Amino acid sequence: MDEKTIKKSILSSSNDEKIIYKSRIKKFQKNHKFYIILLVFIAILQFISIAFFTRGFLLSRHVLDNISSQNETSKLPPRFNKAVILVIDALRFDFAIPVNESHSNYNLNYHNNILSLYDSFASDKDASSLLLKFIADPPTTTLQRLKGLTTGSLPTFIDAGSNFDGTVIEEDNFLKQLHLANKTVKFAGDDTWMALFHPFLSNDSFPLESLNVWDLDTVDNGVMDYFHDHLQQDKEWDVMIGHMLGIDHVGHKYGPDHFTMREKQIQVDQFIDWILKSIDDDTLLVILGDHGMDHTGNHGGDSIDELESTLFLYSKKPDMWRLKETSNYNIDNLGHDYRSVRQIDLVSSLALLMGQPIPFNNLGWPIDEIARNDREWSQFVNSAISQLQLYKDTMQIHHGNDEILEPLAKNISNTPPTSDPEKFVKLGHKYQKVFLQTCEELWAKFDYYSIATGITLLATSLVLLISITKLIPSIVVNQMVPEFVPGIIIMVLVTNLCFHGIFYVYQQPSFVDQFWGTLLATAIGIIIGCYITIFDRYNFIWIAMRLGETLADYWSRIAVMFMIIHALLFTSNSFTIWEDRIVAFLLSTFGMLTLYEFVFLPKRQSTTALLTATISEKEGTTSGVNPSTANSNYLPLTRFARLLGGYHSAVLIIFTRLASMITICREEQGEYCIPTFNNQNNSSWWVLGLCFLMIFILPACITGYYNLTSSYQAAAPIWINVFLKGILGLNFVYWSLTSLENNSAVIAIPFLRDVTIFKFTLARIIAGFSLIASNVGWLMGPLCIKLNIHNTDVKSHEATILGYTNIYGSEFFLLVINVLISILLFNKPLAQLSYFLMCNQLLSILEIIDLLKLKENIIGPIALGLLSYQHFFTTGHQATIPSVQWDIGFMLSEKVTFPFTQIAIILNTFGPHILVSLSVALLTLWSQPPDVLKPQTLLGRIVSNCGILLTYNTILCLSSFIWVTHFRRHLMVWKIFCPRFIFASLSLIVTQLVVTFGTIAFASGRLIKHINDIFWK
Amino acid sequence: MPAKKRTRKTVKKTVSFSDDTTLTTHQNREKKNVDHDRPPVYVRKTPLMTFPYHLVALLYYYVFVSSNFNTVKLLSFLIPTQVAYLVLQFNKCTVYGNKIIKINYSLTIICLGVTFLLSFPTMLLTILFGAPLMDLLWETWLLSLHFAFLAYPAVYSVFNCDFKVGLWKKYFIFIVVGGWISCVVIPLDWDRDWQNWPIPIVVGGYLGALVGYTIGAYI
Repeated sequence: MDEKTIKKSILSSSNDEKIIYKSRIKKFQKNHKFYIILLVFIAILQFISIAFFTRGFLLSRHVLDNISSQNETSKLPPRFNKAVILVIDALRFDFAIPVNESHSNYNLNYHNNILSLYDSFASDKDASSLLLKFIADPPTTTLQRLKGLTTGSLPTFIDAGSNFDGTVIEEDNFLKQLHLANKTVKFAGDDTWMALFHPFLSNDSFPLESLNVWDLDTVDNGVMDYFHDHLQQDKEWDVMIGHMLGIDHVGHKYGPDHFTMREKQIQVDQFIDWILKSIDDDTLLVILGDHGMDHTGNHGGDSIDELESTLFLYSKKPDMWRLKETSNYNIDNLGHDYRSVRQIDLVSSLALLMGQPIPFNNLGWPIDEIARNDREWSQFVNSAISQLQLYKDTMQIHHGNDEILEPLAKNISNTPPTSDPEKFVKLGHKYQKVFLQTCEELWAKFDYYSIATGITLLATSLVLLISITKLIPSIVVNQMVPEFVPGIIIMVLVTNLCFHGIFYVYQQPSFVDQFWGTLLATAIGIIIGCYITIFDRYNFIWIAMRLGETLADYWSRIAVMFMIIHALLFTSNSFTIWEDRIVAFLLSTFGMLTLYEFVFLPKRQSTTALLTATISEKEGTTSGVNPSTANSNYLPLTRFARLLGGYHSAVLIIFTRLASMITICREEQGEYCIPTFNNQNNSSWWVLGLCFLMIFILPACITGYYNLTSSYQAAAPIWINVFLKGILGLNFVYWSLTSLENNSAVIAIPFLRDVTIFKFTLARIIAGFSLIASNVGWLMGPLCIKLNIHNTDVKSHEATILGYTNIYGSEFFLLVINVLISILLFNKPLAQLSYFLMCNQLLSILEIIDLLKLKENIIGPIALGLLSYQHFFTTGHQATIPSVQWDIGFMLSEKVTFPFTQIAIILNTFGPHILVSLSVALLTLWSQPPDVLKPQTLLGRIVSNCGILLTYNTILCLSSFIWVTHFRRHLMVWKIFCPRFIFASLSLIVTQLVVTFGTIAFASGRLIKHINDIFWK
Repeated sequence: MPAKKRTRKTVKKTVSFSDDTTLTTHQNREKKNVDHDRPPVYVRKTPLMTFPYHLVALLYYYVFVSSNFNTVKLLSFLIPTQVAYLVLQFNKCTVYGNKIIKINYSLTIICLGVTFLLSFPTMLLTILFGAPLMDLLWETWLLSLHFAFLAYPAVYSVFNCDFKVGLWKKYFIFIVVGGWISCVVIPLDWDRDWQNWPIPIVVGGYLGALVGYTIGAYI
């Protein structure tokens, strides 16, 4: 009762003061809304620029809807009336051939397990079998592969035309031709086929969910059961297709080097053996892989391991294939020199064998071995040439290579197929190669207008960001922000009105699309609206001088140096490849510089401190506290402060080094990189042991940081020791079960289903608590302060408020803890250790920035930005498509379910960026007493720091845009530079969204209002 | 005419919390007209005397003459030439309170031991910057020895100057910055022999020391 009485007397206020307070809070809330809208507009501008650049850069291909038809004069009798096509996903070539056990790359888990294909080929005396290496074109995702396999066309990222949205393939393809010929096509396996081909497939088909890579057996068992039921008993099919996914899923889940891969391969081998015995004499058997896999089991890039696959053709009839010399089929050195064909050659070969027209958009060439004699070969070549020439004429493709193609075409027509078949075939093949090269060059055309528009808009948004959040003082921005928003809205409306007026007056010109024109008009409107407000008060010269002033001090120059170095990494593929090491190096450099600062205390500290003290002296304080007390923070560092700062710097350096030992290697890093983030380590006992220890050490570390400002009070023990520790414990249980499941798949089979259900329940409980319940709790306003009463005399009002100096930061960090525990669930054990290190580094950086009085310097957001990138790499990611951990998407649901799959993958991939985007506000709030700054000033400074973080990401994005455009003809553009630009765009988008809606709109506004409700004076 | 009395010049006292300033305990009360703008200990601005010619020769040897970039042999050349540089050049340019102190030969030997021991914290520093932890430990230590002995004249001066590190840390900084900048060539995929660890860092450290000893007196 005594405490309540004292609290009431301390916090009481009169009615007049309440009225004044309400008006101030209303002013703050109004400014807060305007800040949010302003940041939303800047975000929209950046999204539009990214959209333009992506539209211009990612290659697209124009698709014609024409359909090939039978030419009666050149109709060929079909060699086969029925066909069985079995797609074994990710069947790499060296999986299907014998490998010498003494070879250095031999691995018993994935070599010499599938022997039926080569045994049939090698022991064949009747030329009934044909085994070839099958080269895929990148990208090797299933959608693009199936398109390539059935149309014979080159894949691109985006196929423009009738199937822009990637659903049913309407362009001419092998299955469509079968459908038009009234053939019955039955399918079982990967359900991607149904999405692409369902009008052409029988209603009796059996699709199965394909994206759940945790599931190794459902699709394969379904295919095998379907074939057992229909291959012989069923008489109503002409083509039967199966797509098995087990090998692919083992690769994604465990990597190829795992005993499950051996089991799965043996299963496939037995199935193939059964098919070889079961088909009848009139059936063509085609067994193929759509792509390979790399050493981590992934695919999506264009490495050799990912592109090399297998093609097997078989018939029980003799003399179906005309083989080449034996030396073409040499299996030595993992089949390095084995004869290979391209996947685009498959569809024309199948069409000729089945007596079907070659699909209209085909660019492939029939496989040499399918012709039994020269006369037949001439007929095949004649059909292929006719199709290619018709395609060329219809597409009206005219290119520099015409000077080569036209004479070739003339020579072909002048060469009688019957009298000189060898010359005819040679000329035809040369024509196809040149034409294919022509198409490849033609379709690699980038839309330079969109690229330039994207780069220009992004550069302009960068200038706006720097001007609004850094160059113009935050106090002035506070006054200007009510003018920004209406100005921008008006200008957006005006520019859109102008654009649509011009658009309709000029009768919809073909070169400008209405949708993209609207986006461009909106972007221009935002830019003009911002500049009108800025140049109403300032001119260009002032802004330039202000930029010079901002970069005048030591730490700002260090920050700019870091930013520029990071941005210049994209000038070289080597630097892009080693970005993970370079970012850790820069962060270590920052730690060394701060350590030097605390140890030696160079002279410039006095200058900075004195200048800051002078500024603070002039500004005074709103609370009326004694000026010397308010400014005491600007006196030179005490001995204890130097020791503390040195300690934090050492923590930052050592933890950066520890984190950099968690590595996932991209292929180009080769032997210089030893991967430690792999399935084996993530399931090992010592990593899980460290995760168990983390349950206790992480709360203890955070408690230590809180105790520096006596903030471990009231709500802090609940959040740190109950919520955080509890969720970490449940997390440990979940991942221990996953580890047991991975390590003892055989033993645990009877209980596997129960364990899976339990894991789903556990994951959903953790996700529900961390994403929803804990944030609702934070909205209640947990304070980390406590009244400490020394004098028990009720008449005396002396009391100390513990945690007063860090009341903002301590409460805000509880929200960071909420986000941390939601991210931890969706990360594998080694990544969780990385987040433990990141948490300590983050708090140490905040302490360092506070001790050095750099709250308003740009070094703070830059250091946090470096931290987010370092831990992006040490949580098991690289800027490559194969490194995305797709399996995480199925932690909450067995199938692809919006939004659970997307939330899981985003939190897994961009967790460090989300955490840093939220924590950047702590640069202002950490160790900030509540009575020094007005709410508007505090919000302005938070926006300023957030703006610097956005500037950092924008500069990286702009640099990657520029250099990926510069290297667009580079051999490695699709492997190194393009994924990096996609990642830069996505990280900028994520940072924008989290900063705008999470940090500014939700967290900061709520926190500042809550604290000022209590401590208003 | 009364003689005008000469007033004594007022010496303004300042308090500094920085280690950059060396406080002298000598009162110098007997002397008059003391120039207080000049620091008590400094290196004279005589570029020909402070320029480390031997580092240029060692760099030339290491890059062009030595086979397979022999770092051990380079170290065996570095140590005696650094001692010679200290005795013949660096110490002669260092002024201690308006006088040049003769070389203290016993201190030079002691500092050799100290510099050797300095290689271990230097190795720790290198590893914290990202050097391989267990692999290539021998090469990392060789690199640390090179960095330590490149700073040998500064180590001697620290001992000779009552352990005031502030005056001499610029030489250490130049060596470290030289090594830091030379890291830029390691990630490149040029596949040259000289890109192997720790060759570029050694060269960078030598270049940093070269620049530091040359222009250190002017900073």
